[in-house]
Amino acid sequence: MKKNHQGIIKENIKIAKDTFKLTFDSNIKEVKAGQFVSILIPDKTLRRPFSVSDFVEDKISIIYKLKGDGTKYISSLKEGEKIDFIGPMGNSFNIENKKRALIVGAGVGIAPMLYLKKVLNKNNIENFLISGFKEEKEIIKGSDKYVIGGSVLDSIEGLIDEYKPDVIYSCGPYIVLKLLSHIAKEKGIETQVAMEKLMACSIGVCRGCVIELKRGNETLNASVCKDGPVFKGSEIVWQI
Amino acid sequence: MADLSVDLNGFKLKSPILSASGTFGYCDEFEDFINVSKLGSVVTKALSINPKKGNEGNRIFETNGGMINRIGLENIGIKEFINKKLPILKEKNIDFIVNLAGSNFEDYIEASKIANKNGIKAIEVNVSCPNVKEGCLEFGTNPKTLYELTSSIKDVYKGFLIIKLTPNVSDIESLAIAAQSAGADCISAINTLKGLGVKIEITEDKKIIKQTVSGGLSGRCIKPVALSMVKRIKEAIKIPVIGIGGISNRDDVLEFLSVGADAVEIGTENFTNPNITEKITNELIELIDKLNLKNLDELKRKLRE
Repeated sequence: MKKNHQGIIKENIKIAKDTFKLTFDSNIKEVKAGQFVSILIPDKTLRRPFSVSDFVEDKISIIYKLKGDGTKYISSLKEGEKIDFIGPMGNSFNIENKKRALIVGAGVGIAPMLYLKKVLNKNNIENFLISGFKEEKEIIKGSDKYVIGGSVLDSIEGLIDEYKPDVIYSCGPYIVLKLLSHIAKEKGIETQVAMEKLMACSIGVCRGCVIELKRGNETLNASVCKDGPVFKGSEIVWQI
Repeated sequence: MADLSVDLNGFKLKSPILSASGTFGYCDEFEDFINVSKLGSVVTKALSINPKKGNEGNRIFETNGGMINRIGLENIGIKEFINKKLPILKEKNIDFIVNLAGSNFEDYIEASKIANKNGIKAIEVNVSCPNVKEGCLEFGTNPKTLYELTSSIKDVYKGFLIIKLTPNVSDIESLAIAAQSAGADCISAINTLKGLGVKIEITEDKKIIKQTVSGGLSGRCIKPVALSMVKRIKEAIKIPVIGIGGISNRDDVLEFLSVGADAVEIGTENFTNPNITEKITNELIELIDKLNLKNLDELKRKLRE
């Protein structure tokens, strides 16, 4: 299936401080949790990738935080206007044979976790979504528990012990994913994390967004856009 | 339908629109977006004799009208390419040119021998790589070194030899002449320009965060440099020239053809618009028909009048 698409904006609403949700008709039949779309920004060389935060019929939603020229353009889009996007790109969270999932979202990184939660519910996989935000005003709704201020990881060990998940899914800042992967590894629990890195092609050809993975005794480069964005936390060679 | 074919001194292409190395993968990766077999040729990601992991740290930086990359020639190596990718290219009837990179003479020669042995019809040699035995100066910045490298490759490789020149020199003509004298069949130009991306962010708590990425600049912003270089090269040599640098639409292609390019490669724009090569190909056909011309050669003549 061709991956060039035109989206027609249905809704572009503010959902938290500097945070918006864009929903558009996509003409796409299937999106898996963890996958992303790359949106063309006028006069910019690089497309901007966004995780899908919801998918209803053929309507895709993304959640974005105002940051630079790209998100400024997206925030200006009105109902009925068109965007040029490619996708769905990348791999997805593996939910096969999972029974009890702990989902951890940090900041706007919660976007793909909201869609994942929906998919888990649909597949009757028990789950609990905990998310962390800097302040009350930044809360993106949809979690089972919120941590405001501090770190979403502050109470995570207790939660893991209590909830006893067989898998932890997460998306958020690098440091959160790194620490969470370490904690889970010590407890012998599988983690799957959705990574973020500046991308040029979104297709896997330019090798601009690679991270290092360790498999057995070998290390190899994997592209976040094509091999990822979801990786096993235990396979990533975490940097400082 | 208008005939877009190009004859580069005996090496025939079905269209003058090629994909530039490093922006298109190794073979059919863009099939989700276009019909790759319609391209004049796919130029593969640069291949070295052994696989390379590339650079650590940030590899890309967006600039106004372009980007800087320091991928560090990460690639699967020519042997893996021949085992895994070549069969796909052949099966799908995709025309291709193999781009080769090396860090010393021996690497280039060895890779060229492998290309020759496997019947690769055309290679494009990336001479922007640092020569580790000569203080890491790029091979393509010294006419004498370039002459020796080109003639050594010519000795072992019997197919169509394209030398891809670096623009990071003061006298591009002397490099083009050196490659021609050494037996190159064609020149392609330009590779990326040396650039430095600097980003300074002042945080809410008054900290200054600085990020720098030093690498090769590409994208729309380099087009005027590329046009100037292609024109100068064309005026200095007789062999065909493939123009590269900042092409993002049909009119850019016309500009390159008008200053003497025989064909063009499209690079960074593939990231922005992955269907750009097919779009431009179709628009070229439409234009030739609209002008009541028969083929690309007639269009080139008109553009150069």
